[in-house]
Amino acid sequence: MSQATLPAPARTAARGAANRPYGVLVEFDSPIDLKVAAEAARDEGFTRWDTHSPFPIHGMERAMGIRMTILPVLVFACGATGMLTGLFLQWWANASDPIAYQFVFEYIPTWFQAFLGYGFLVSGKPYFSLPANIPIIFELTVLFSAIGAVFLMFGINGLPCWNRPIFQCERFRRVTDDRFFLCVEAADPKFDPQRTLRWAESLGGAAVEVLYDRDESDDQPPAIFARVGLFSALLALIPLLIIVMARSSKSESPRWHIIQDMDNQERYKAQQAMPLFADGRSMRPVVAGTVARGAEFLQEDEHFFRGLVDAQLATSFPPRDPTRDEPLIVDDAFLRRGQERFNIVCAQCHGRDGIGQGLVNQRGLELTGDRGGAWVQATNMHDAEPRGRAHGHLFNTITNGIRTMPAYGDRIPERDRWAIVAYVRALQRARNARESDFPPDVLRELEARRP
Amino acid sequence: MSVQAAIDLSSDRIRVDDVAPDLAGRAGLVGGGALGVAVVLGFLGGSEAFFRGYLLNFAYFLSLTLGAFFFVLIQHATRAGWSVVVRRLAEQVMAGFPLMAALSLPLVLAILLGWPNGIHAVYAWTDPELVAHDALLQYKRGYLNGGFFFVRVLIYFGVWIWLGNYLYQRSLRQDVTGDVRLTSEMQAISSPGLILFALTTSFAAFDFLMSLDPHWFSTMFGVYYFAGAAVGAFALLAVLMFTLQAYGRLERCVTTEHYHDVGKLVFAFVVFWAYIAYSQYMLIWYSNLPEETGWYLVRQQGPWLAVSLALLFGHFIVPFLGLISRIPKRRKQTLLIGALWVLALHWVDMFWLVLPRNIGHGAEARVAGLDVWELIQCAVCFIGVGGVFVWGLAGRMARAALIPERDPRLGESLGFENL
Repeated sequence: MSQATLPAPARTAARGAANRPYGVLVEFDSPIDLKVAAEAARDEGFTRWDTHSPFPIHGMERAMGIRMTILPVLVFACGATGMLTGLFLQWWANASDPIAYQFVFEYIPTWFQAFLGYGFLVSGKPYFSLPANIPIIFELTVLFSAIGAVFLMFGINGLPCWNRPIFQCERFRRVTDDRFFLCVEAADPKFDPQRTLRWAESLGGAAVEVLYDRDESDDQPPAIFARVGLFSALLALIPLLIIVMARSSKSESPRWHIIQDMDNQERYKAQQAMPLFADGRSMRPVVAGTVARGAEFLQEDEHFFRGLVDAQLATSFPPRDPTRDEPLIVDDAFLRRGQERFNIVCAQCHGRDGIGQGLVNQRGLELTGDRGGAWVQATNMHDAEPRGRAHGHLFNTITNGIRTMPAYGDRIPERDRWAIVAYVRALQRARNARESDFPPDVLRELEARRP
Repeated sequence: MSVQAAIDLSSDRIRVDDVAPDLAGRAGLVGGGALGVAVVLGFLGGSEAFFRGYLLNFAYFLSLTLGAFFFVLIQHATRAGWSVVVRRLAEQVMAGFPLMAALSLPLVLAILLGWPNGIHAVYAWTDPELVAHDALLQYKRGYLNGGFFFVRVLIYFGVWIWLGNYLYQRSLRQDVTGDVRLTSEMQAISSPGLILFALTTSFAAFDFLMSLDPHWFSTMFGVYYFAGAAVGAFALLAVLMFTLQAYGRLERCVTTEHYHDVGKLVFAFVVFWAYIAYSQYMLIWYSNLPEETGWYLVRQQGPWLAVSLALLFGHFIVPFLGLISRIPKRRKQTLLIGALWVLALHWVDMFWLVLPRNIGHGAEARVAGLDVWELIQCAVCFIGVGGVFVWGLAGRMARAALIPERDPRLGESLGFENL
């Protein structure tokens, strides 16, 4: 019934070194025969052997004595990791920053603060809200499980493995069609060329064959493969070269606007004319009689908000600050605030000393005249005219601007405008100081330095 | 393809005609008695409590019947081989549709007649006085009215009884004739049957359960009810397999492999239920629209918060972790515990759908707490409806074999092995 082919080293007979047996292959006609043979091999105590069939055979694991794989446990661990990653990622990205700000920000090293997340408030939900986080957690759990399942399976099975000596066997090709095989490898400690062959023949398979290792220098792919491979590799460089070229050359034409992102919309911009309304304005004015909410915004205090007392420009500082609901006191802190604001906002044109030679002023003058500019020299604050102006006048100038000076009313809050006025007064006074203005000890020191 | 082991069926006991009639008689007696008690209690404690308790248990046992129906349909539609030895059990549960139709009568007739008064408290849209003052309910009156409700319920049960009967009668006939064409017929009807099943189950859930809060709507509510129904029915199947084996039936043809597969279905649909429940919750939570969030707000207050959390942990996290490994699914004792647990939590799920609600109007509106009469009715009606359910099921089991003896895929099922 079993016709064993003789253990003749078929095609590789001439190569001495490769002439070692790889294993014994037994062919069967039916899955049941294979299962019975697998049970026999299991009971024989072989360790390096396998069965091959065109389809999975239920119960083969038991017949072969294969232990349950550890893969499910590993995949569960991957899934749990994915779940915790999703949870931590979202907490870190959206909630770590607000929490850190609230509690421990000062203790976090500066370099590490950059790594904190950025708290986005979405739809008024809490920074860290589980219902919103679950989809990501779910996806990451599935992703980690799936990737873990595939690649751990590869690892456990020793994949990828492109070739095995058993593929050389002509007979073995029908394993994908209608034949069933059992192969005991020579590497098995119980393998003995004679005894194992006799045992294999006793299994009652359709055929028995001894496989031999082959000299693999025989198995080089045809030369055309290498040429095609080289050519493809060169072709693959082209996109890279295009990118290099694009990045190292200049072009006059505008960029391609591939991603529009609603950059060009059919809409009216703020100052455009619009035929729809009778007044032709696209920006709609506030409805007459509209009152902003809150006492601060009603701006009923003429002195504080407009620098007017009885419709005249005020010559004094306002006594109260309605935005803070407290008296406005011109003291050292107030002056320092004014100094800080002045140096930030005013000094560009007027200069830190108030003479009117700030960098912007210099540049403005440069561009005026032949070059078509229309810059007006910034005022020297120490001239008699600005020195003689009322406080309210300076306040009004800051608020509404004058000549080429823009209006700063919308950029500097009233309190800061008053602080700037106070600081300008201090500058003017300092520039025109008399001996009696100095404290005696400072005066003595100055006297000592006189050349 | 699998290797078919030759199993001698003649030595296996595949009938329960000795003990089932006795059980059926007793269950019917207990069930009928309990329903009588429930009616009497309805006069004492108010008909609203009766209707809520009754609806809860009607929805529960209807869902088990529907889930079994789904199981049979899906086995035929996929031409499954593994499930043949347990399919008859599901068929016998499924064949309970005529009985469920009869059990729906107290609700349907009360809605149709508008009597007794408690039905208005349960289904606000049946109260003409309330509808007259509610613009939304007037708008929905074309759909939510007693007459159309009755017609719809007729259609649902018509479809279910007809399809269930079609499948069950053919399966029984095959026991006698062994005709393979019957299998082809059952397979041919199952795919369109699944479409009908999906539509009718969805709308039945809308009508019986979602309309309890007639202002509220969720398009996936039907799927939610279906998910619970499938979990419950698969768990019931595991319980039936275990019980019959405990009585010495099906000892050889139902193997560890079949427990394992039924366990997998229970596990899978526990996850599916959680997926659907969460999807419904998340969409409403995120969009945060008052007309939708109210339904969940009620369930986050007072005793209902505890029930909601019990569902989250009991209906998902505990069975998820408990059934994820193959080991508890392949040991029938542990699977039985899991199945009974899931069946109990499915009941809690129905409880969670039916009982929480707002009462009163305007400034006096508040969330209804737990009511003693309602809890009593829930328990009594469980015994009542459950008794009638078991009466029908045991009766059908007594009259036929417990497996489709001459199904063409019986051999495949007997020799079935998981990897």
